[in-house]
Amino acid sequence: MKKVRFAAPLAALATVAVVAVALAGTGAAAPAKKQATPFKAGLVSDVGRFNDKGFNQNQLVGLKYAQAHIPGLQISALESHSAGEYLPNFASLARKGFNIIIGAGFLLANQEATVAKQFPNTKFAITDYTAFIPPFSGKLKNVEGLTYATQENSYLVGCLAGLMVKQKGGSQTIGVVGGVKIPPVDTFLAGYQAGAAKCDPGIKVLVGYSQDFIDQAKCKTVAQNQIDQGSQVEFNVAGPCGLGTLDAAKQAGIWGIGVDVDQSYLGSHILTSAVKRVDTGVYLAIKGAQNGQFKGGADLVFNLKNAGVGLGKISPNVPASFLKKIAGLRAQIVAGKIKPPTKVK
Amino acid sequence: MSSTEPEQPQGGEPGGYAPSVAERLAFYQRAGGIITPIITAVIAFFMGGLVVLATGHNPFKTYRAIFDGTGLNWFFHFGHHHITLPFTHTRVFFWWDTNANANASYNLSQTLLLTTTLILTGLAVAFAFRCGLFNIGGQGQYITGAIVAVWVGSSWAGMAKGLHVFLAILLACLAGAAIAAVAGFLKAAVGAHEVITTIMLNWIAYWVGSYALGRGGPLQNKVDISVPVSSDVVKSGKLPTFWGNPELQALHVGFFIALGALVVFWLMLNRTTLGYQVRAVGFNPEAARYGGINVARNYVYAMAISGVFAGLGGAMDILGWQYRLGVLDIQVSNIGFIGIAVALLGRNTAVGVGLAALLFGALVNGTSTRGLDPSVFPPTLAGNLTLMIQALVLLFVGADVLVLAIWSSRKKIGLGRRAASPPSPEGAAT
Repeated sequence: MKKVRFAAPLAALATVAVVAVALAGTGAAAPAKKQATPFKAGLVSDVGRFNDKGFNQNQLVGLKYAQAHIPGLQISALESHSAGEYLPNFASLARKGFNIIIGAGFLLANQEATVAKQFPNTKFAITDYTAFIPPFSGKLKNVEGLTYATQENSYLVGCLAGLMVKQKGGSQTIGVVGGVKIPPVDTFLAGYQAGAAKCDPGIKVLVGYSQDFIDQAKCKTVAQNQIDQGSQVEFNVAGPCGLGTLDAAKQAGIWGIGVDVDQSYLGSHILTSAVKRVDTGVYLAIKGAQNGQFKGGADLVFNLKNAGVGLGKISPNVPASFLKKIAGLRAQIVAGKIKPPTKVK
Repeated sequence: MSSTEPEQPQGGEPGGYAPSVAERLAFYQRAGGIITPIITAVIAFFMGGLVVLATGHNPFKTYRAIFDGTGLNWFFHFGHHHITLPFTHTRVFFWWDTNANANASYNLSQTLLLTTTLILTGLAVAFAFRCGLFNIGGQGQYITGAIVAVWVGSSWAGMAKGLHVFLAILLACLAGAAIAAVAGFLKAAVGAHEVITTIMLNWIAYWVGSYALGRGGPLQNKVDISVPVSSDVVKSGKLPTFWGNPELQALHVGFFIALGALVVFWLMLNRTTLGYQVRAVGFNPEAARYGGINVARNYVYAMAISGVFAGLGGAMDILGWQYRLGVLDIQVSNIGFIGIAVALLGRNTAVGVGLAALLFGALVNGTSTRGLDPSVFPPTLAGNLTLMIQALVLLFVGADVLVLAIWSSRKKIGLGRRAASPPSPEGAAT
């Protein structure tokens, strides 16, 4: 359940947009500094609602974290029980004078764009969606996309997978099962391929798609196929469907790598997880909007540097030297010396 | 309502004849008048209040907040206003401010949007009930109508506006009728129980919709292939709106179409031969057959007409304000099931369904998290409060068959002195 984004090629455009908004935003930022009007931040869930133990719930955690760490911040979290509630939820927050309103994912994009057009003086942000594609198309200067540079943490897990396979010997093959071939899935895959090749040059990375994000059996079949071809590590990039991938890894006695959240709770076969911190994203978006760093019409990119993406718990069976190697690569990515690719080879 | 049914005193079944569920419901629908549904609703709200109290919140404040969230408080804001007449630029005097940017009037318009659909899904259940059929398939018929409406509405962009809307509504109604008629036909032809078949048809509609709108499906949008949502309804396929900003889910003319459907429902049942036959079959299919009525045909007709109402409901939602349909919309939607509660609380009568639809529409909208002040009731609990009150209403609607049974047995004791009174339907209901 991810949305399309283009990070690198549009960076130049983003810079232009940021400058434009910075100029236009100077007037808007002034009232926020007054003590009399508290800064108000709202979050609208998708139909998964806030008790979904995942995407929506993590964002609510981020909102609550913001309330605890930004003095005087007022928050409101609105649940949507049906698609018909998206629009009234956005509209009611905008009418109540909320300064920034965050939509919890791509399901809300159309309605958020509609409301953003009607309330040009209210700031909007949308999780895991770029502001450069329809319905926003970079033209709505009060909407900010919150996107995740998952090629960066995937590069690290790819390297770790390569190191583990190299140490173990045997078939130098690892696999990854994506949901559907769409850009937000492929950024994970591309980083994984590049990271594995970096740390184990001769390695073969099997890439498969289940064509589904929900049905675990489909992911399990694809993973099983890769394991039969000698894969020693299976990376899940397919949300709930990917639990099937990790299950196949467990049954075959090989490593599995989790996605989005820390999936180490699944068992000792989990090597680590490529974590996407949507809670950090929500918090940083609010903080940025309050500090006048709102990127209207552009994306706020979350990466290793600002801890918007990262690694989950790493298995205790990983040697300390490997951890050191990973830490070194991380520092190089943060410093901009390594730029993991976003396109699958 | 019940005074328009001259044959009801003859509705008593012969002794020893085991009453079916539909017969008991038919009796229950006639008995008790307007008092029992009101008592039912009041008890449900009282129990809901106790639960609110148990969570440590003030039930009066909570209900007040829910009431404000429904927008019904708009009626208490009298004043002298000059408002713009819909579709014109004429400004006239009115007692209430219709500016939909105010929270109360916006909330009310959202409540009425839900009421529109609930009237139609409620009628879909009520009409079948009057023929002695329990139509659980309102949800599937609603989805079918919505799928067809989004298909027609998002195709043929060049068509004339009036014609396009009319065609979309017509085909949605026919599609709803077709899927419902399957259940009616199976009942008529082989006696398959309509509760089972309509539930199965619900899943057929659910999965057909999930396929058609899902990734790679024929109705999925071509712009963003990663999102399982249909294309948008084109401009000529949209119903006109008359209250509120058309960009922000304004109230559309479908509200009047739904009110019209209530009138049609009443006329059809009480002023046509078909309605007479449908009711006769509902009261007692054996007697109706003996009287020369084609029971099988009436089962098919009654289900098809139910399907028209539900399909119309789906079309109203798509063409009136949703303008698109996604796989998730189909999967989380339950408006057809709320229609069952609407029909039961509304006693399967036109006026009752209209009022019950308003109550449930208000309840769903009022307990949405945006209407509730978090200091009064935590938003994360509010959504569950909606479901709870709905469930309690349903429970008591079911349980008041029991209340009626007690009530009727008490009456029987009272009637004991008039031993000559004819056998009454109460006997069959207990």
